[in-house]
Parts: sequence; C-alpha cells; structure tokens
Amino acid sequence: MRPAPIAEIACTVAGEAVRLLSARALYWPARRTLAVADLHWGKAETFQAFGIPVPSGDLALDLARLDAAVRATGAERLLLLGDLIHGAWGLTAQVVDQAAEWLTRCPAEAILVEGNHDQHVAALPDAWALPVLPSLRDGPFRFCHAPAPDPQGAYVWAGHVHPVAVIRGRRRRGRVRLPIFHVGAQVGVLPAFGAFTGGAELDEPGARRYGVADGQLIAL
Amino acid sequence: MPTPPPPAPAAYADALAAVEGWFDAQGWAPFDYQRAAWQAFGRGESGLIHVPTGAGKTYAAFGGPLAWLRAHPRRRAGARIVYLSPLRSVAHDVELALQRIAGALCPDARVESRTGDTSSAVRSRQRRALPEVLITTPESLSLLLARADAPALLAGLDSVIVDEWHALLDSKRGTQTELALAALRRLSPSLRIWALSATLPNVDTAAQAAVGPGRAATLITAPIDRPIHVSCLLPDAVDAFPWAGHLGLEMVHKVVERLDVGSATLVFTNTRNQAERWYQAIQRARPEWGARLAVHHSAIDAEERARIERGLSDGSVTVVVCTTSLDLGVDFGPVERVFNIGSPKGVARLIQRAGRSGHRPGAACEVICVPTHALELIELRAARACVDARDVEPRAPLDAPLDVLAQHMVTRALGGGFTADALFDEVRDTVGYAGLSRAHFDWCLALVREGGATLKAYPQYHKVVADEAGVYGVPDARIARLHRMSIGTIADDPAVWVRMGNGQRLGAIEERFAARLRPGDRFMFAGRRLAFVKLKDVDCVVKPTKAQPTVAARWGGAKMAVSTHLASALLRTFAGEITGGPELAAAAPILAAQAALSRLPRPGTVLGERLQSREGHHLFLYPFEGRNAHEGLAAVLALRLGRRQPATFSTSVNDYGLELMSVDPYPFEAALADPALFDPDALVDDVMAAVNLGELSRRQFRQVARVAGLVFAGYPGKRKTLRQVQASTGLLYDVFRRWDPDNLLLHQAEREVLAQSFDHSRLAASLRALSADGLEVFDTPHPSPLAFPLMVSRINETLFSTEALADRIAAMRADWETP
Repeated sequence: MRPAPIAEIACTVAGEAVRLLSARALYWPARRTLAVADLHWGKAETFQAFGIPVPSGDLALDLARLDAAVRATGAERLLLLGDLIHGAWGLTAQVVDQAAEWLTRCPAEAILVEGNHDQHVAALPDAWALPVLPSLRDGPFRFCHAPAPDPQGAYVWAGHVHPVAVIRGRRRRGRVRLPIFHVGAQVGVLPAFGAFTGGAELDEPGARRYGVADGQLIAL
Repeated sequence: MPTPPPPAPAAYADALAAVEGWFDAQGWAPFDYQRAAWQAFGRGESGLIHVPTGAGKTYAAFGGPLAWLRAHPRRRAGARIVYLSPLRSVAHDVELALQRIAGALCPDARVESRTGDTSSAVRSRQRRALPEVLITTPESLSLLLARADAPALLAGLDSVIVDEWHALLDSKRGTQTELALAALRRLSPSLRIWALSATLPNVDTAAQAAVGPGRAATLITAPIDRPIHVSCLLPDAVDAFPWAGHLGLEMVHKVVERLDVGSATLVFTNTRNQAERWYQAIQRARPEWGARLAVHHSAIDAEERARIERGLSDGSVTVVVCTTSLDLGVDFGPVERVFNIGSPKGVARLIQRAGRSGHRPGAACEVICVPTHALELIELRAARACVDARDVEPRAPLDAPLDVLAQHMVTRALGGGFTADALFDEVRDTVGYAGLSRAHFDWCLALVREGGATLKAYPQYHKVVADEAGVYGVPDARIARLHRMSIGTIADDPAVWVRMGNGQRLGAIEERFAARLRPGDRFMFAGRRLAFVKLKDVDCVVKPTKAQPTVAARWGGAKMAVSTHLASALLRTFAGEITGGPELAAAAPILAAQAALSRLPRPGTVLGERLQSREGHHLFLYPFEGRNAHEGLAAVLALRLGRRQPATFSTSVNDYGLELMSVDPYPFEAALADPALFDPDALVDDVMAAVNLGELSRRQFRQVARVAGLVFAGYPGKRKTLRQVQASTGLLYDVFRRWDPDNLLLHQAEREVLAQSFDHSRLAASLRALSADGLEVFDTPHPSPLAFPLMVSRINETLFSTEALADRIAAMRADWETP
C-alpha cells in the first residue's frame, strides 16, 4: 500500500502562514516544522498481548505515510504531539526496531511532546533517541498533546481527541464521517495520524473545520 | 472412567413408583407420555420430548433422572443432573419447582441454580461440590467447563435436560450448547440427554442436535393439542387508522378497555422502546393501577425483573408490558390473558406467546392481536390461518460458526486442556460441526494459538499454548480472566448503568444513546420518567421527573424479519386465496385503495411502483420475502443501478418490500428493462460489494468479533481496565481487510451477512422471481398503501453511494445552501 498524494489548504493562524495537509499533518513553513498527533504505534501489538489476534501492518503503512509527508514538505523538524505509542505491551522488539529504523533515516529532527499514552512506559526505547518535552513553545505557537488554551496566550496546536466531523445531508443524502482539523480561536486540534485509531465528534462554535476525505481536504 | 453397572431394574421401578406416589399426593395423574419418557430414561435412552407448552414437560423430563438418583445414590456429593434453561430468570422458578419434587423423593440431594444472578456465597459453596441437581444457562455451563477442575466436577453426571431447546436451536447460543453437550458426553460417557421442545415440523433434527449426530434419539410426544384462539382487536374505522407506524398507540384505549387488573395479563411488544411507550400510555389511562402494572424487558435491572416475575406469581403484579423477555417461561405462572401488539413475525412465535395464557393442561390458550397499522390487519388474518393449520416454521442448528468454535477452544483449554485430535473428534460430535473440515479446525486452533496464519511472527501473542504432550492450556492468567469475562454469544452494545443519585440501579442503556444526552434531557426507562443529570464513568446518573420525556431511549439489536411461512400466507391473503374474517372486512378500504392506485400483490409476479415526490425519485418493489432479504436486495440493486450511472440511493425496507430513492433523477425505467439487473448469478459477489459500500458487514463483524474474542463486550463497570484494548469493530474490520483479507472470521462475517442479515436463500428466491416471473411496475401519483410505510420509515434507512466522497459532501452542502 502506498501513501496517497498529499493535498493541502493554506491558512493563517495567529498571524503565521501554515498549511494543513491531507496526510493528517500540519506544516509550518517559516520554521520548516511538520506536526502530527496520536500515532499510537504498537496498538495492534498491544491487542495481541491481550490475546486478541489483530494483525500488525499498520505501523509500516503509517511510517511510509509519515516519511512521504516529511519528504514532500522538506521539513527539518518533526513534532510528534503525543500518544506516539499505544501502550507498554505494544513495544515489541519488532515495533521498536521498525520505528528506530525509520527514525534514524528520517531527514527531520524528531521531537516527542508527551501524551497520556506515552506515560504507560517509564522511558521510551533508547534506540529511538527521541527528545521528550512536556510541550514546545515556538513563536506564537505552543505545541502540546491536550487541547487546552495556553495560560500565556500562545496559540495551541494539539491532538488527543482524534476529532472527526459527521456531515449530515438533508433530503435523505445520509451522513459522512471524516477526520478533521479543528481550528479554533485559541486551539487547533489535529486529526489522529495513526490508521488504527477512532475518533470523537468535535464542533465548537467559531472553529473552522477541514475534513480529510479520500486524500483531499475539504473546508467544512 | 468406568461405565456404571447396568441399572438394577427393580430399584429404578421402585423409584418410579415413588414418583407416581408423589404425583398422587398432589392429586395429579401422570400423562401417558410422561410415563413413556420415564421408562425410556430407565432404559438408558436419550431423546426429545415435544408437547405443547403447559402440558407438564418439565416433570416428563425430570421424573426419570430423579428416579435414577433415588435408585442409585452415591456417597460423594456432586452434580448428577444438569437442567439447562435458556433464561436465568426462568432458572429460579425451575429451581423452586424441582425442589418440591426432589425434596420429597431425594431429600439429601441439593437442588440449586447457578447463573449470572447467583450470589458469590452460593458460588463459593458450589465450588467445593456442585449440587446434585444443577440448574443453569448455556453461558454458565460454558463457564463451568472453563474451570480447571471441570473434568472432576462433571464426570459423575447421569443426565442433562435441555429446556426450550427450540428457542436455542437455531442461534449461536444453540451452537454453544451443542459444543458444551459434546464436551459433557466425553467427560461422562454414559450421559443421557433429554431436550424439551415446543412443536416443530423438524423434530428429528432438533433431537439429533441434542443427543449428537448418528446416535439413537427417542422421540416422546403426546396427542395433546391445546386449542389456540387468535383474535384481532379491530380499529373503529380503518379510515382513521394509520397506514404506517409500529408503535400502535392509537389502539391503547381499546386495549385498556379489555385489560382487567384482576387477572394476570401479558402485553407483548416487539421492541423495548415500544414496551416503554405502551407502559406509559396504559399508566396514563389507568393511574389507579399503580404498582400492579409493570414493564419488563432485558435492559431493566435483573432484580427489578425478578421482582416483577415474583409479583406475577403472587398476584401483586397483574398487567405486565413486555418484550421477548417473557416469551419463555415456566409452566407454573398463572397468566390468564395475552395481548400481542404489532406483527407477530412468525407462526411459532405467536403460538409460543399464546401458550403463555391459560396454563392448565388441556385448557385453551388465547392471544388477542393488536394491529399497529392498517396493513397489519391483513397480516393478522394470514397469521390466524397459519396458526389454525399449525403451519409452523422449522428450525435447524447453525452450520459450523468458527467464532463460537474459537471461543469454545479457549474454554476447553482452560477446563483441563485438550489435544487437537481429541477435540476435533469431540467437536464433530455435534450436528453443527459434523461436517467441519480438519483444515478449518486447524485454522481455528491456529487463531487461538498464534493469532492465525498472519500472526506467526508475533511471539507475544499466546492465547492457548501446548505442552510437551500436546495438551493445550491457557498459561496467562490475565488472558484466562478476560476469556471468562467474555464467554457467551450474545452481542450487546456497550452499555452504561442507569442510576439514581442515591446509587439505586435501574438497568442499562446503550453508551451511544447515553453519550448523546444533555443535562435536562428526559426519557422513559423501566417505566419511570427520568431526567439526565450526568454521565460519570460507567454510570448514567438520572433523577426522577414529572415532566414529559423529550427523547426516546433506543436500543440497537437486529430487527426480526417476518418468517417465510407468514409472508407467503400474507401474499396469498392479498391475492384472495385466504378469505373471510373480521380483519379483512376491516381492511377492505385499504385493499381497495391499493387496487385503485396500482394493484394488489399476488404470488407469481413481483409488484413494483414508481413515484416522484418532493424528496426525489422513488422505486418500490414488493417481493414479500421479509425485511432481511429485502435489505440484501436493496443493497444489490443499489449497487447495480449505481454501476450503470453513479448515484446515491437511500434505501428503506420492511417485511413487505423495499424502496430505492435518489434525490437526483435516475432513469429507473431503462434500468428495470435490463434483465442483467436481476441476474441471480453474481449475487454473492454483488452482495459483498454492496455490503462494503453500505458498511453492513462491519455491523455483522461486530458479533463475530465479539464471540471470537476480538473485542470485549461492553460490560458496565469493566471499561476502565480494558480501555487499552478497546477498538470499534469498524476499525478492526478495516485492519483485517488491509492486512489479513483471507481471515476466516471475515469470511464468516460475510457469510453471516448473507445467511442471516440477508436471508440468502430468500434473497436468491426473490431475484429468481424478479428475473423469471417478471416485474409489473406501475406509476403512481401518490404513495400507495404499500409504499407509504416505506416512505415514512426513516429508522432503518441505509445509504448506498457509488459517487466520490468529495462529490457527495459537495452535494450535501449544496442542499443546505439552496432552500
């Protein structure tokens, strides 16, 4: 399976030009920074450890998608906004090695902003050599995991909630469920990057929403 | 273990005489069929007893095993007789009834039930030694089999009695029971199995499924035919009676007039929501009845249900609005009258419900049917004809569902372990798996051993593990615990408890429904008006309110389709082959309207109608094959029409027919003229393609995944610990399709979609009818009486689209922008 071509929507947030990518990532050209959230590496393997035979495979797909996004944007910094791993049980040797292999050849500098799932382990694998921060402040932005307004007034980019939109049609056209970017006045929430992740409907007043549909981005 | 010596006939004969004596003391005389069953048991036979409800089946089945127990006492305590009941609420009544006779004849024997409702104190006492007579459910029996000491606990069994076998037979619970019985036959080779069943046209199959394939099965029956009176409560004027709807609340006042709070009455409904609504309406009409009126369904807390059932026995509760939750019941309740609201759906089901009334052997039973819309008058006439002819639907065990087998393998691994060859033989000793191939067995074993073929490379997956001798066990205590928690085949939606502020528990509602509530929303539950306060962990906290409900609690769960038998009788009634009766006289105006607008349906050709409305362009077809087959047919037709020209169809189905509706114009006429549209050949492929389009097999996969242990059931209170391994089955389905498309569980889900969700044989039959017998299509200026219910029903609507997602969203948004 090959990653789909990437579509994008340009917008201005907190005075900065950013690009929302159909690869479920945010790109900030001024700092050559790519941000993704909620990757949930090792989720299938966590299930396996509990005796639930979910096939592995999504990690390879997700790494290929991540690789394509980094290369397509030419990002120099990759921010992983939390819930990089799914649980302690899922960090099998194979998952650790597969991720480490990609991290070593990743052209951008990867930094983890810690999320709640990441705290299931005392420390991430050494082989990943990932710097871990509680949050990252840069320019007008603060990058973190949980979507809460910043007390210091920075614009927050976060993940955690796996936002989706449910679009209901009138006149019996049915409904469509899409992962979204949910861009509010103080907080922007990224869609979950991991393929094996669900979502929760999010639609706060005043927020702009952009849905990811079949490799396209649609302003809702 | 050694086979016990052949019975000393004298000892058994003496014990039987004591049973007769006990009957005598009650002022009863045994029926001949009861004596025949006792004699057959004494000869070591197994079999099936089929007599109408209320004819004393329980004593027919229990007399033999009890006499055996009296004739052959053992010094060591332990289980001798297992009495399997499909409902744990019934188990308690059975316990009381069996205690009376056992207490007189075998005073040393303990008679106890062990179900999900049994207290932990009783359980721990039973852990030391099971009672001599153990009353339990299929799920609790599987749990027993999953105990490490199961072989020791169950090896001394003389007999198993399977009550209401017809109710289990054609479900996964029936499959689970078959597997458990095969395991018991292996643990106790001299085991005798007796199943009890209501009248079935294929009793031989039912008997074979109980005793095991290829074994002798004795059939015991009796020339007892309880007269069954089916009557119909007619609306005052059919003109004022709705053409569509399923609640039937227009009829409440007429039902209330006929309700008597002095005699025990069951009011059956088809859904839990309908039960709540009817309870509320009756309560409003008869507030003075107070607590003598009650509502009973499976989402209501078990204690409250038990209280209502006790009330029904002791007379403190007399009128109970219920669902299938009270379809089954022991013969000891004093129900006088039975009402059935809405479509009876099947002949056997209507007879079963009628059988709950007039519980004296030989007494007539009576059911008063209440139509919820005008067309149901015709259906009720057809149902009455079928009941009079005793034209009952057959039932057969499911064919080798692998999810149930996968679960059973882990159960047997926990319960003392198994070797592959021995378990293969044991499993094939069931009707359901008699034809199971070794390849499929091995695939299932691989699934629980290493997660199936694709998981070979993942060493952290260990569910069952073989030791050096090839005996499979479950070494991981955490996996063992998870398995015990999820034994069973009933797929419930994730649920949360409904609790008052003081902690009192009222029952459970679906998490999906609870998640959408906002503070102040009001709904009916367990017959109370409640206001939502907050959702806290796994509790939906509520408080009582006097104000009207603002939302209706909904429960998922498959909707039952009308049976082939009833549907065919219905079509014959429309065609004038079944005539007479007050129902048809009342329905005359609606039949005339149908005939004037298009024509009356008849066997031989399929009726179709085309209509243009403000909503869009409608096509209606009426194959009369039941809602499930129609759902499949709608899916296939939507796919094939969408291939001719990209389109989005919303579809709606009921037991009579289906509707395809396109907002944008679609050339139905040209498409219907193309015989390829109804080609039965590519049916399976097209259904599967359509299913993926309509996300239908995801829904079916949920059940398969739950039984096979891929997802854990939403037990209230168990959520937190399992949060890490919870995923929606939709997600799981996608992962499997991406990485393991040949997984047999996926295939099974697809097969089940075909067989169960879409009633494959009826679906194929309707396509054949459409291609061979032809279709007669009428353009109607207004919706006909047959079309109207399909047009207004939005509940079971499914959407099929061959348009690109972005195009659909654009169309949806365009809709909103143009008024």
